[in-house]
Amino acid sequence: MLLDIFDPKAAPRAVGIDLGTTNSIIAYVRDGAPAALTTCDGAPLLPSVVHYAKSGAVLVGRAAKAQLTREPERTVASVKRFMGRDAHDPETARLGALRFAVPANDEEARSVRFDVGRPKAITPVEVSAEILKSLKQSAVDQLRGVGGVVITVPAYFDDAQRQATKDAGRLAGLEVLRLLNEPTAAALAYGLEQKQNGLFAVYDLGGGTFDVTILLLEDGVFQVKASGGDSALGGDDMDRAIAEGLLEQMAAGSQPPPEAVALALSAARELKHALTEAPEASIELPAKGGANVVAKLSRAQLDALILPLLERTGKACRRALRDAGVEANALDGVILVGGSTRVLRVQSYVAELFGKPPRCELDPELVVAYGAALQADLLTRDDGEVLLLDVLPLSLGIETMGGGVDKILPRNTTIPTGARATFTTYADNQTGFELHVVQGERELAADCRSLARFSLRGIPPMPAGMARLEVELSVDENNLLKVSARETTTGISQEIAVQPSYGLTDDDVERMLIEALDFGEEDLERRRLVETRVEGERLVLATNKGLSVDADLLSTAERAAVDDALGRLKSSIESAASASPIQAAIDRLDHATHEWAGRRMNRAVAQAIAGKSLNDIEKTVEHAAGVDAHVARHRGEPA
Amino acid sequence: MTSPFELLGVPALFALDETELEKRHRDLSRALHPDRYAGRSPGERREALSRAISVNEAFRRLRDPISRAEALLAQLGRELTETNQPKPAPALLMQIMEEREALSLARRAGDRGRVERIASQASGRAEEAAERMADAFSEDPIPVERVLELLGELRYLRRLKEEAGVALDEL
Repeated sequence: MLLDIFDPKAAPRAVGIDLGTTNSIIAYVRDGAPAALTTCDGAPLLPSVVHYAKSGAVLVGRAAKAQLTREPERTVASVKRFMGRDAHDPETARLGALRFAVPANDEEARSVRFDVGRPKAITPVEVSAEILKSLKQSAVDQLRGVGGVVITVPAYFDDAQRQATKDAGRLAGLEVLRLLNEPTAAALAYGLEQKQNGLFAVYDLGGGTFDVTILLLEDGVFQVKASGGDSALGGDDMDRAIAEGLLEQMAAGSQPPPEAVALALSAARELKHALTEAPEASIELPAKGGANVVAKLSRAQLDALILPLLERTGKACRRALRDAGVEANALDGVILVGGSTRVLRVQSYVAELFGKPPRCELDPELVVAYGAALQADLLTRDDGEVLLLDVLPLSLGIETMGGGVDKILPRNTTIPTGARATFTTYADNQTGFELHVVQGERELAADCRSLARFSLRGIPPMPAGMARLEVELSVDENNLLKVSARETTTGISQEIAVQPSYGLTDDDVERMLIEALDFGEEDLERRRLVETRVEGERLVLATNKGLSVDADLLSTAERAAVDDALGRLKSSIESAASASPIQAAIDRLDHATHEWAGRRMNRAVAQAIAGKSLNDIEKTVEHAAGVDAHVARHRGEPA
Repeated sequence: MTSPFELLGVPALFALDETELEKRHRDLSRALHPDRYAGRSPGERREALSRAISVNEAFRRLRDPISRAEALLAQLGRELTETNQPKPAPALLMQIMEEREALSLARRAGDRGRVERIASQASGRAEEAAERMADAFSEDPIPVERVLELLGELRYLRRLKEEAGVALDEL
């Protein structure tokens, strides 16, 4: 076997991580092709299970999975289903072996917490961070280090779930370059492999989440037309459906002990897996009273158990097709992703639904991680040949008077995106505003996902409708929301702090970071230094690259300022003992290159639209003729 | 504020070539998408993000016939706000009421096929109305009143389609 030989001076590689409900995978790009790293379990798949041992040790992967039936309350599986969820979420009431901590106050209730027998209850973000840390270690061992990471999330994840995933990355000491939608990642892996243009559907049924995405692949651009799904639907639900029957056979009663539930769930998984190979499967289980029972399951029984779940996926698929404005027969292919698509009935259901046999040439359990690795590689290479254009999965809106929702950004809008909305006072002498940002498709705000609330006080008395509040929502390429608001009537525009409804605050994450490190703040400062140095080095590279192509856009004085700032940054990277001087040098270079960066963007745009710069375009007949000629050229007609 | 037509560098026409519009959006995204600026300075990344947002916003407005018509009207100095919305013609109002009734009947009866027919009829009629809109915008001078009437019709048809969509989600 050939070992990879690394250039010791080369920047550490960016990697891709599929942080799955059941298994997690870390992959990177080697000689242009994605490859999975071996995890601590000696295989590409790392079971997404974390065990908090009595000794204080934390086990991840197969070793933790082995504890699932022994110490179920100290062992967290399928943590992804709890990401971004609060203490009162219905998910906490479903069949499972975990114990939930009762929140001490409203602040704590913003995240569900597991009581794993430690002095402090653990949040899903911390559990996920343990999985990520283990994967990170694999990269450190096999690639010498990690230079940024792309983490995949279900396309249907809402803002709180995405933010939680990003926080977990941060807590694990990873630089999260990008959150990437799983179906888009899979499409990227297929698209780059097959080099085929066309319209595709990605059907992604994982352990705990279901996604469907309709996307158009054309000239290296992966344009998502519509996404849909259910962030609490997957193989786990199949297991639960099977386990309920098993618990009855075990005579476990209506309040089965955690050990019995864990055993039934694990037996359910085994039966489900066995049925992919054989038409019938059986397993021996301990029953109440000491005797064993043999539980049997046939394919026909499994098919009947999971049909209601499949019908829920069918509904989401039909809606995605409708949103994309396409008929199933217009699709060039259907791609299967996720471990649960190994269930035979799932495959036949998808074939019936779309009227064509689905494709699964790439391993459905690895393809998402492959896509994440490819995207990480693209982000660091920056050659512009391949681009992913994703969409907002759920509409964003603001609660109106009477509890309705004013949709400001509809679902399936291409991201990044943003919108402004203006609100006025509804009563005379109203002195404040309460605003509530929600995400979802339901008509009532109470039925949608609450994302953030904010209030504005101290408006001087004036008639109704006079005071104006301008709200701006923007969604970045990671599908993360930013809200800002300004009161504009009084002439004093003030920025308003927005309180997220779920998840951890930045302070929470900071505190967890300090607690997780052996030497607290000292370690954190060291970590910051390393991170800032990496950012500085990257910026030096990017600036040099920019100078090699666009130096003509700088005046002599500007060039001198850029060179000076660049020199200062380089020397601070070499000599600084803490992050702050490097950060200051980064800011200085940022400032010195600001106008130049704008001109470079103008040039890129001008090149993109064939020699016309954005600001020069005039609404003239000549211009229309120019565009017509442009169209004609692209159709191969003489202009 | 820059018009969406200027932002995308396409002629200010109602009858836009959709393939060309999509291609232009792809090309501009290639130049401005934040992913292309992953290793750049924080300021540059913010700038790219804000420009990419503007381009996507313009693309969203131009792709949709209703907001495209509104953008053209705004260029003619007929900015539509909440207070000067066009009123539908009485004949259209009657039809709206009948079709709403038909939809809610089909919905209550759980008649999926009937709801689908209503949705596809609404799509067909929206396409026809968009063609008439294109004709109106190609006249000189542009018959603003007729455009407003067609805009009302398109809006109604879209709402009907949305309601049919919600019904289909439930069935």
